[in-house]
Amino acid sequence: MTTTSADHGPAGAAPPPPPHVVVRALVRPVWRALPRGAVLTGAGVGLLLAGSSLTVAEEPDPFLCLTLLRAAALAFGLGLAFLLDDPARHTTATVPTRRPVRTGLRLALVVPIMAACWTAALFLVPAKGRPPMGAITVEAAAIMAVALASALLAVRYSEAVEPGIGISAGLVGAFFASAVMLPSRWELFVGTTDQRWDDAHRRWAGVLVVAVLAGALSLAEPLRRRRTTVLAHR
Amino acid sequence: MIATVTASGLSLRYGGTLALDEVSLRLGEGVTGLLGPNGAGKTTLLRVLATAVPADRGSFSVLGHDPGTTAGRLDVRRALGYLPQTPGFHQDFSAFEFVDYVAILKELTDRTARHREARRVLEAVGLSDVRGKRIKRLSGGMRQRVALAAALVGDPGFLVLDEPTVGLDPEQRMRFRELIAQAGEGRTVLLSTHQTEDVAMLCHRVIVMDAGRIRFEGTPAELTERAAGRVWSSAERDPSARAGWRTGTGAFRNVGDPPAGAHLLEPTLEDGYLLTLDARTEVAA
Repeated sequence: MTTTSADHGPAGAAPPPPPHVVVRALVRPVWRALPRGAVLTGAGVGLLLAGSSLTVAEEPDPFLCLTLLRAAALAFGLGLAFLLDDPARHTTATVPTRRPVRTGLRLALVVPIMAACWTAALFLVPAKGRPPMGAITVEAAAIMAVALASALLAVRYSEAVEPGIGISAGLVGAFFASAVMLPSRWELFVGTTDQRWDDAHRRWAGVLVVAVLAGALSLAEPLRRRRTTVLAHR
Repeated sequence: MIATVTASGLSLRYGGTLALDEVSLRLGEGVTGLLGPNGAGKTTLLRVLATAVPADRGSFSVLGHDPGTTAGRLDVRRALGYLPQTPGFHQDFSAFEFVDYVAILKELTDRTARHREARRVLEAVGLSDVRGKRIKRLSGGMRQRVALAAALVGDPGFLVLDEPTVGLDPEQRMRFRELIAQAGEGRTVLLSTHQTEDVAMLCHRVIVMDAGRIRFEGTPAELTERAAGRVWSSAERDPSARAGWRTGTGAFRNVGDPPAGAHLLEPTLEDGYLLTLDARTEVAA
C-alpha cells in the first residue's frame, strides 16, 4: 500500500490541474450525487400547480393564477432546499477541490433547470389571468434564493449532511408567516390590482439581493473561526 | 523521530466547552494511536488536523505545509487522507464510482490514471471483487473499507483515521488492523480509537487525551509501564483499587495502589491508560 501510483503521489508531486478541468471531470458524478428526487419533485409539483390553472373552464381568475404561481414558486423553492444535501459530506470534507467549486457546480447544474421550469410555469398560466411576468418572477427568484441561501448557510454553519428537510419546513413556515403576519406597510403578498404592488416588489427585490449576498458569503471556507476567536481571546 | 506533523497550542471552543485546550504534538512516520474517553476532544483534534474545521488559536503544519493560509490549506489537503468517524456515501454509487468521484475531488483528472488509482486502492483494501457493487448493498465493514480506500486515493502522506474499527466484527477488525499497519508504512497515520488492543498491536506511539488536553504522549510500552506494580489479583474485589473486575479464572484483577504483599500481575496498555485517566481525576479532586 506504499507509494505505487506512478501518476500521483504525495503533495507537490505534480502541479494541480486548473479548476475548469476538475469541474469538467466532476459534472457527471456530481449530477449523479444530486438529490434529484427531491429537486425534480419540487419542479414537478410546481409545474402541476401552475398547470392546474388550465383546468378552470371559466374566464381565468387573476387572483387564482397569482396564487397558483406563488405556490409553484414555493414548490420550486422546496425542491431547491434539498440541493446541497450530501450524505458524503464528511467523507469529502477535506479534499482540495474547494467548497465554492463543488457547490457552484451543483447550482450550475440545477438552477438553469429550475429557471426553465419557472418559465414553463409562467406560460402554463392563461395569458389573461397571468400577473406581470417580471414582478412575479422577482417573487419566485426571491423565494428560490432564500431556499438556496438557507441551504448554503446550513452547510456553512452546521454539520448537517442533509439539511433539506429542516430548511423546507422553515421555508414553508416563513412563507405562510410572511403571508399572514407582516404588517400592511411591509406586506409582500399583495394582489396585482393592489396599489402597493410596486412597493411590495421592491421589497421582494430586497429579499432577493439579501438572499443572494448571504448565500455568496456563506460559500467561503474560513481559515479561522472569527466569532469564536474573539470569544477565545476574552 | 523526524516530525512530519507538528501542532502548537491548538485551542478550539464549542459554545461553553473547550474542546481543545492548548494541544501541542509531534507526529512522525508510522501509526500513532489517539486514545481517550468520549468527549476527550479526539475527533475535534483530528478534524482540525484534517482541516475540516479551523482552530480558534494555535498553529500546525503537515509535511511542511502551513494550513493557516488558503494556499497552504490546499497543499495540506493534497497531502491528506481522512476517514471521518461516520463516513457517508452516495448509496447509489458503486464502490468504484465513489472512489473515482473522490479521486476527481482530489484533483486526479486524467481518466485512465484515475481509474488505475481507484482500482489500486480498492485492491489494497480487498474490495476488488465487489468494486462494481452499489454501496447500499455492501456490509458495514465493506463500507468502512470503501471509506478507507477513498482516504488512500492519491497516496497521501498523512492519513487521519477516526475510529475506523467501530462497529466491526472481530474478523473485520483484524482485517482493518492489517490495512492500517500497511498504510503506516512510509506515511504518517493518526488513528483515533477506543480500542486499546488496536493501539497495542498497531501503534509505535500513543497519545492519551482527556478534556481537550494531552495527558500522555509516548510509546505503548511507556504507557503500559505506568501501570507496572499497580495491577494485582485477589480473591475478592479489593476496595482500595481504582478499578477491579472478576476475570474468567474467578480471581479479581485490580488496578490502583496495591496493598503490601499483593500478588502483582503483568500490566497491559489498558491498565496504563486507565491509570493515566485516573491520575487526572486525582489531580482534579
